[in-house]
Amino acid sequence: MEQTNWKRRLLIALTTSVFIGGTAQLAQAAEVTLLNVSYDPTRELYTDFNKAFAEYWKKKTGDTVKINQSHGGSGRQARSVIDGLAADVVTLALAADVDAIATNGKLLPVNWEERLPDHSAPYTSTIVFLVRKGNPKNIKDWGDLVRPGIGVITPNPKTSGGARWNYLAAWAWARKQPGGNDATAREFVKALYKNVPVLDTGARGSTTTFAQRGIGDVAISWENEAWLATKELGPDKFEIVIPSVSILAEPSVAVVDKVVLRRGTRAVAEEYLKYLYTPEGQEIAARNYYRPRNPQVAAKHAELFPKLELATIKDFGGWAKAQKEHFGDGGVFEQITAQ
Amino acid sequence: MNIRRAAAGASIAALLPFAGTALAQSAPQTTQSTPANAEPDLRQEIEEQKQRLLILERKLEIQQEAATAAAATAPRVTATASRFQIGSTDGSNFIRFRGTLFADNRAYGGDSAPETADTFLLRSVRPTFEGTFGGIYDFRFTPDFGSGRSIIVDAYAAARFNPGAVVTVGKFKPSVGLERLASEPDLRFMERGLPTLLVPNRDLGVQLSGDFAGGAFSYQVGYFNGVTDGQSSDNLATPDVESDTGGDYAARVFFQPFINSENFNLRGLGFGIGSTWQDLEGAATNPYLPSYRSQGQLNVFSYRANTAIGTTPNNATFSNGERLRLAPQLYYYRGSFGFLGEYTQVKQDVSRTVAATTFSDTLTNSAWQGQFSWFITGEEEAYKGFTPGSTWQPGKPGTGAWELVARIQELDVDDGAFTGGANSFANPLTAISKESAYGVGVNWYPWNTVKLSFNYDVTSFEGGAATGDRADEQAYFTRFAINY
Repeated sequence: MEQTNWKRRLLIALTTSVFIGGTAQLAQAAEVTLLNVSYDPTRELYTDFNKAFAEYWKKKTGDTVKINQSHGGSGRQARSVIDGLAADVVTLALAADVDAIATNGKLLPVNWEERLPDHSAPYTSTIVFLVRKGNPKNIKDWGDLVRPGIGVITPNPKTSGGARWNYLAAWAWARKQPGGNDATAREFVKALYKNVPVLDTGARGSTTTFAQRGIGDVAISWENEAWLATKELGPDKFEIVIPSVSILAEPSVAVVDKVVLRRGTRAVAEEYLKYLYTPEGQEIAARNYYRPRNPQVAAKHAELFPKLELATIKDFGGWAKAQKEHFGDGGVFEQITAQ
Repeated sequence: MNIRRAAAGASIAALLPFAGTALAQSAPQTTQSTPANAEPDLRQEIEEQKQRLLILERKLEIQQEAATAAAATAPRVTATASRFQIGSTDGSNFIRFRGTLFADNRAYGGDSAPETADTFLLRSVRPTFEGTFGGIYDFRFTPDFGSGRSIIVDAYAAARFNPGAVVTVGKFKPSVGLERLASEPDLRFMERGLPTLLVPNRDLGVQLSGDFAGGAFSYQVGYFNGVTDGQSSDNLATPDVESDTGGDYAARVFFQPFINSENFNLRGLGFGIGSTWQDLEGAATNPYLPSYRSQGQLNVFSYRANTAIGTTPNNATFSNGERLRLAPQLYYYRGSFGFLGEYTQVKQDVSRTVAATTFSDTLTNSAWQGQFSWFITGEEEAYKGFTPGSTWQPGKPGTGAWELVARIQELDVDDGAFTGGANSFANPLTAISKESAYGVGVNWYPWNTVKLSFNYDVTSFEGGAATGDRADEQAYFTRFAINY
């Protein structure tokens, strides 16, 4: 009996030491960290937002939160999360990439869109043209992009969420032309990609190609990215052209359940995303040229966001259908660029 | 990138004079034909060439970015002469394949052993699969197919919370004997010395261990199923399953006070003590008592087994109370010289029931050794790991590493084991009471994973024979070893 007690005591001591070790690790990690895996052009948005949220969280809970950011082409970022990048939250360019994490990676439930307002898209954007100052090639609308000799800069839809919005916006315009249908749209998009000399992996790379490397005559760009390029790289160098038709781009956000469960960060991760919907979060989005959902904040910044005819992803049957049909293996994009 | 941009710029610059010349040359002609269109055409041509160069440059840049990104996440495969490993780029996750293969020959001189003892054998055939996850959690699995057996030698998981707190669970070496704790590739002699006969080999249990001050102080404390002297848990009645009622408590402290100092003379000094304690209630049918071997690996000592027949109660000697092991130990390495010394003592309560009378005693068996090693090719001696200064390959310069080794050692069985005539705990006519041995050897490392050894050991005995002492043993051992 005494022997058994000794055994128990030693095992308890060893188990306690294990927990002490674990607790010591936790104590060292008094600063909670989150990893936000996002797409290319959101660097500036989340730099501002993270700072505001950290202050908000400190004020609310007394805890310190540090948010690490990871940026790249949206599709590639989703692949990284599926492959093990421990993202507490993802803020990607489109719902399809979050869907991929849910279905292929099984890291969050497939109904993730229902967990936050506006089907988990707290801000929107659209697709516009960025041209060189004075618009020397006189580019007014999508039709001008297929003229011979026009260099069009857009990223690769296989790796970039923004590129997929660009592609679909072009397709939507072509379909709306007199006599337009999917067949004419396909020919139009095919002609457009013949004018693309470089396919970057992400939207920020395309901005670099166009604005800093001086390649091409027009960049098909996120609205926020176009504004940023104009403001940061020189209003004397670039102009924004609003096409007659574009698409409502809805970047999606989600908590990655399996990661927050493992890291014990669910509460702060959920609050982080909810904060995007607050007036403060919406204001930060608008300041970074994303179209806010909040009507009051949107009205305040109305001059930044002109009204235009916008197609939606529903016009393409939703992301699941569009992804498979246009961007999946053997899809339309591969067909038209292989020819 | 700057170089490429410069190259692109240079290319454009190279085109401009050409264009200028072209313009100059074409000017008179255009004056005569189409003067208004020639200059803009050429400028457009230059612009187009410039765009092409920029596009090529950007494509190269994108390719380079993609390659860099891919390299950051690509698994890193390491396949060298001493390691095969697949891991993540940051090194925090990896799996590694290792292995040892010892092919031995044993021969004995004179009448020290029967001719049948001369043999070739596969002493050790141990593939090892080990790895780390998250930079913290380690695992190791090592079976052994040597000597005609299939056993699990090591199978454990460890969590390295920090250098001072590592928890290990599974089957592994309890931390007691110094030479026992050395890994096979690091042994200087083919067979471990006599003190190792008195300490546990592999056992199942849990251990907390750690290093402090950069290894200047280390400790291990653990709780194990418990095994007899020199044995592994695979030798238990039911292999790798505890069959007695008590567990074995093991602890060890070790100091290397100068390990981080600039003092060359003392940097290689290490000393410490290991211990185990167990309350071991054996029985005549399950005695939990050891046998001891000679340095030539022949059985030379056993406690009395059962000799009773019919309904007479089993009269084998058995453990009957506390077992305490103490193992002070020391090593000292300086340049190409090394010394390892240890003394091990085991106090064991034993009993034997003969014709309804039970005899009990506490026996103290002990052993010591001192072994010396010298790399005559100048390599640095160390307790753990070394690299040959050169390799040997036919027709190429280099001798590999050559090492001379020598050892003296002794094992002393408590005289109390032999008192009492027919009632003694051990039979003096078959079990030795003392063995003293000296040995010399040479090791050749033609490659850092290959080792050829020759050992010559002479052991003399006290007792263990019907008349006088057991004959001296002369053992000639050779080994071809691969340690990958």
